[in-house]
Amino acid sequence: MSALAAEVEEEIDALLSAPTFSLAPEEHHARLLSVLKSELSYAAQRDARLRQYLEAWPIDYRAAERIADLPYLPVGAFKANPPLALVDGANVIHTLASSATTGQTPSRVALDTPTSRRMVKGVVAIASDFIGHTRRPYLVIDTAETLAAHGTVGARAAAIQGLRPFATEMVCCLDGDGSGQLRINEQRLSDFVAKWRDQEVLGYGFTYVIWQHFVAPLRARGVSLGMPKVRLLHSGGWKRLQDQAVTREAFASGVAQVFGCAAGRVLDFYGMVENVGIIYPDCEYGHKHVPAFGEVLVRDPLTLRPVREGQQGLVQVCSALPTSFPGFLVLTDDIAEVIGYDGCACGRRGISFRFVKRVPQAEVRGCGNIDTKRQRPSAVPA
Amino acid sequence: MSDLIRHFDSARDIIAAAELVRERALARELRPSQVIEILERWGESLHGPELDAIPGVPFLKLWLRRGTLESIVLRELGADGLRGEWREEGSTRLRAFPLGVVGHWPAGNIEIQPLLSMTCALLGGNGCLVRIPSGLLAQTQALIEKLGTVPDGRVLLERLCLASFAHDRSELQSAMAAAVDGAMIWGGAEAVMQIRALPFPSWARIAVFGPRLSVAAMDGGSWSRAAERKSWCQRLARDVWQFDQQACSSPQALFLERCDAGDLAEFATALAAAFRAENQLHPRQTMHPALASAICLSRATWLLEDSTRRALFPATPDWTLLLGTGAAIPAPTQGRTLSVLLVDDLLEPIARFDGTVQTLGLAVSDAAKEAALVDAAGRNGVDRIVKLGRMHVFGSPWDGTDLIRPMVRLVRHVPANAD
Repeated sequence: MSALAAEVEEEIDALLSAPTFSLAPEEHHARLLSVLKSELSYAAQRDARLRQYLEAWPIDYRAAERIADLPYLPVGAFKANPPLALVDGANVIHTLASSATTGQTPSRVALDTPTSRRMVKGVVAIASDFIGHTRRPYLVIDTAETLAAHGTVGARAAAIQGLRPFATEMVCCLDGDGSGQLRINEQRLSDFVAKWRDQEVLGYGFTYVIWQHFVAPLRARGVSLGMPKVRLLHSGGWKRLQDQAVTREAFASGVAQVFGCAAGRVLDFYGMVENVGIIYPDCEYGHKHVPAFGEVLVRDPLTLRPVREGQQGLVQVCSALPTSFPGFLVLTDDIAEVIGYDGCACGRRGISFRFVKRVPQAEVRGCGNIDTKRQRPSAVPA
Repeated sequence: MSDLIRHFDSARDIIAAAELVRERALARELRPSQVIEILERWGESLHGPELDAIPGVPFLKLWLRRGTLESIVLRELGADGLRGEWREEGSTRLRAFPLGVVGHWPAGNIEIQPLLSMTCALLGGNGCLVRIPSGLLAQTQALIEKLGTVPDGRVLLERLCLASFAHDRSELQSAMAAAVDGAMIWGGAEAVMQIRALPFPSWARIAVFGPRLSVAAMDGGSWSRAAERKSWCQRLARDVWQFDQQACSSPQALFLERCDAGDLAEFATALAAAFRAENQLHPRQTMHPALASAICLSRATWLLEDSTRRALFPATPDWTLLLGTGAAIPAPTQGRTLSVLLVDDLLEPIARFDGTVQTLGLAVSDAAKEAALVDAAGRNGVDRIVKLGRMHVFGSPWDGTDLIRPMVRLVRHVPANAD
């Protein structure tokens, strides 16, 4: 099988080393388009099924002049078993799995060493732009067991590990009780707070884990940790909190109350394992931005063409980073609104967008909505 | 005209409404022939830009014609039944009488289905309590308003109650079920199971239509001949487009019988052209994001699962052809996504049918072969076998069941002076 051409690797590295959020949109588009086309050619050489898919695409990707015309994979394609991979199994060092709810099949992506290295660099480049470059104590609002999984790495573990390059030391302040319930390890938390109370500290956890297992119990006891310099990042989505009617504002306010910091030090970011290496934190205006090595398109469900500013549609994420799996162009099951195609007041160039929601369940599809086989019980009940 | 669809918020009001239409229906006898006259006038009144834009209205107009309805009543109830008279049967007599109130639970995906369902029960002399799905309120209102404008239309309106309430108001669903003497239930598996579990009276007659899916099949002689190909492809495209491929009679897969003269690529090109043309005539106005997402996923998974497969689709989600081989029906995507599968013999897929398939749309050039396919399909659970292009033509029986007869009682009279 063919290897990725050295010049393509150089182009990817050049995008990773470019100013993360300040390339002019035209230059950004041209450089990324070139890399993505090369990566698609590489994928087509590596996998006959992908080649088949690319050849069926109504626009020849080799002649495409817009990223929007390149063939994308729907996120559900990453639920395939075995996972879609562009490298031999022997070269896979980790398989990342999404946080599927009970009964759902998780997405899985295979990482080799070069892709894994780029993922780390990508997250560091993006996060640095929002929280600075300095390393600092890292409070993980999760359990050590979450990180300890071997073989397949979960979404929570991947996100925690993604921020590790910013850590001087890392403390996990939750314990599992063996039945799936999480509780605060009071001793570990109070030791961390006592040691680093007045210092710049980084915190991270999944949104619902922070709320349910950290903020809620501490607030109930009226605890304030008195850590005004904490930077608390969180991700993983809002669905579980929406079910509890917790708004973003209420979340930020609750976290700020417990840490004793300003609500502005709480930073939500959007990310997914299929787009690993790119995270989308909110800027100070509440907008999300894309780095030099990625792009986001928001497509109108009716036409699948990119929407205009102010309109909503299906989110497509694009990334130059992966070469061990075909995650270059991924149509997600999320809906976002395009705020603008350039000119966010925060100074970051290119598209700015706002995550709106997951794609709602399809409406009732009527009398033709049926499996192709009649399902009957395998045995007659006694 | 006042709002003809009534919003309900209490179980007591639903029960009272059902009682009222029952009283009115039983107080004034309407012969099927009288109902047909009024329905025909209603059908003739259904025109204008607003109504023409409602999917399925041409079918509804066709359905409401005297010729259509009379032939159905004649077949199900006989000539005496059409006139509302007793039928002599030896020394005894038989006559159809209404059940009382028939509850209708139409599916949310077919705009005209509440009205189609309702007319079946009206022809049996019943009153109707029809739950209108929330997505069909405006269309139903526009269509039913016209009934009030035709001579004697109000006679039918008096025995109708079109009801609106949230589908998850289980106490209102239960009240509606408890208040009816018969039920016509249409919909997907989940909806049908939920409605069938409602507390119907022990005497209630229940007719269930759906959930089903449909497929098309063409023998080698039909799909390989260039002269006929275009016409068949147009017919198939129309069947796929109608009701946005969400009806139980919508083809989800097309089986093609292999033949030496057949070139799948040529056929696929012709079919794609027909789909493109149909899409120009009937483009979508809106699209649920989940359906767009499902269409994209079906394209990808079809090709990624097997490198021998092919697919044709535009950059938009307007239509999709998934080309391959095999006798199993792939999981339907809907959204104008058709699986086109080569098989050695059309009997292979038909032998696998297990009652899920409602309609088999056929294009077969050999009459003897068609007869064999029809027998096999009937044995394997198919309820309708029709020519391609006519898969949605609503008629009786539907889903293997009469449409009027289940909602009437056949009363037998043995005269006292009989031997």
